[in-house]
Amino acid sequence: MSLLIAQGVSKSFGGLKAVQGFALELPERGLYGLIGPNGAGKTTVFNLLTGVYRPDEGTVKLAGRELTRLRPNRIAGEGLARTFQNIRLFGELSVIDNLKVACHLRCPHGMPAAVLRLAGHRAQERALAERCGRLLEMFGLASRAHEQARNLPYGDQRRLEIARAIATGPKVLLLDEPAAGMNPQEKKELRTLIRSVRDTFGLAVLLIEHDMGVVMDLCERITVLDYGKVIAHGPPEQVQKDPKVIEAYLGAPAA
Amino acid sequence: MNGRAWKNMASSDANLLSLITASRPGAAPTLLRSALPVVVIVALAVMAQVVLKGLLGGYYADLAITIGVNIVLAVSLTIVNGFTGQFSMGHAGFLAVGGYVSGAVTYYFSLTQWGSAAAAGGRLSGMPLSTEGLAWLGAGDVLFPVALLIGGLVSALLGLAVGLPSLRLRGDYLAIVTLGFGEIIRVVIQQSGPALKTPEAAEQAGVLGMATGLGGALGFGGLPKYTSLFWVVLFAGLTMLVAYRIKTSTSGRAMLSVREDEIAAEAMGVNTTRTKVWAFVIAAFFAGIAGGLYAHKLGVALGPVDAGFQRSFDIIIMVVLGGLGSISGAALAAVVVTMLPEYLRAVADYRMIIFALALILMMILRPKGLLGVREVWDADLWRGLFRRGKSAKGGGK
Repeated sequence: MSLLIAQGVSKSFGGLKAVQGFALELPERGLYGLIGPNGAGKTTVFNLLTGVYRPDEGTVKLAGRELTRLRPNRIAGEGLARTFQNIRLFGELSVIDNLKVACHLRCPHGMPAAVLRLAGHRAQERALAERCGRLLEMFGLASRAHEQARNLPYGDQRRLEIARAIATGPKVLLLDEPAAGMNPQEKKELRTLIRSVRDTFGLAVLLIEHDMGVVMDLCERITVLDYGKVIAHGPPEQVQKDPKVIEAYLGAPAA
Repeated sequence: MNGRAWKNMASSDANLLSLITASRPGAAPTLLRSALPVVVIVALAVMAQVVLKGLLGGYYADLAITIGVNIVLAVSLTIVNGFTGQFSMGHAGFLAVGGYVSGAVTYYFSLTQWGSAAAAGGRLSGMPLSTEGLAWLGAGDVLFPVALLIGGLVSALLGLAVGLPSLRLRGDYLAIVTLGFGEIIRVVIQQSGPALKTPEAAEQAGVLGMATGLGGALGFGGLPKYTSLFWVVLFAGLTMLVAYRIKTSTSGRAMLSVREDEIAAEAMGVNTTRTKVWAFVIAAFFAGIAGGLYAHKLGVALGPVDAGFQRSFDIIIMVVLGGLGSISGAALAAVVVTMLPEYLRAVADYRMIIFALALILMMILRPKGLLGVREVWDADLWRGLFRRGKSAKGGGK
């Protein structure tokens, strides 16, 4: 059975049908892509899956559990993590604190333990520092652990956002244009990074991307959106040849 | 990236919880380290009362008490306006609630039990013992902290009632609601009846009569004056300690993340409503304590004005000047903002103009406040200042 299942998900803003009848089945350890021209509704799909918007219709299930009506923080708790198209780091916080916030859900010792500095709180802080430190090491950000996140170079910020999403301990990772603004070298490293993230943590990944090089190379299957509707779905080579996709991107051929 | 690190990570990922809950040796040192700052604060408070009071003399000791009360207010407001980035404009409302509630407790308890509202002696308040107390504590040493605590708790409950509906929403609703809340408290206090002067009158009026006999527009006079340097240093220290411990914990980081980006915080699993409400309730609690300290201070006539917007604005100035989110910054600003008017008596009428100008200058020169989110003891603050100084020199060439 598939890990993440979306069925008939629709959302309108006033008269604009932003997403209509979106469907997706993402298997465990799957690496799928979501593409489409600008304004096709890709980010809206992410916002619907993660609870930022509530769908008008349709259901979203993760590992058999219904996510459709949950608040975003609960959805994160069920194991759906994301990054944002326009980076949304906690700019004033240090790099490592960005990760620690994302471990929020796995920290059983709350405010009373913190105020009294109980042993549980101390152990939790130690475990957090260790775990987040190791995550930073993996993402090559260890040397910048105590810098403010907003001072990082752009590429590092993108990577930190992925690391932060992973720190929540997800089953499925949604990446919203991870390669945007990166140079070819960074894009190449990003591809390796996404693959190793998937393999190490056993995650399923769904990514929105405009860079066709990245998408065609990484993704096992691709869903194409246009005007809020799924117009194609399949392996990269099949989608590439699909006349509807070509039409959406380049316009109808002159007959 | 090396492969082994990745493998380790995956396994440690699953083990985070067990790592946290695993018992570790050395429970006793932990207790010591947890309690040590509290012991230090108590020692400082005793020293302030015994040594500092004599050194400072009456006028400056009194000023120091006002500073201490303002530190509690500024640091507590920092938890809301600084940590969570929500803008509360009615902090004085909680100050007044705490002041009036604890004032009613000490006043009417003394009146009905001891026949007089005068202070019943207290070593910690620097008074001779006039009523029999415990072995070495005066009756006031027990009554006063209990009253403060009750004032703080009632204030926190009101904070919950105000915060729960207004903090569910994103945006400026809190500012509007808290502004109204302060005014409501002010008007309600104004409508209260005159304070009851004799034990018989209090007896006759019953609990409800006492609870509504708060002096009305004239102010609640005749409260026993228990507030001393000891109590003020104690609570200023405890407020800062609690704020610091929250800031450096999971809950505090959640608060800061809400300030930085609410949508991202939610996507990372932070329950933003709960986080904001908790911050607001804790801030209301300490504001209530500050109110109690203020109400029982010599020379203060607690009145409806203390709930007003002007008072709230004074506290906001301290928080903004100090740096939104900086505990030590707020405390420092509380010292400066309290002392300045004392030295600028000549231009006292223009106080608000000077503060407004200072705020505007601050917004231009250091929009994040004196210290920003950092603390005085953060090493990178000083490194940052140093570096900026050097580069400024270089730019001057």
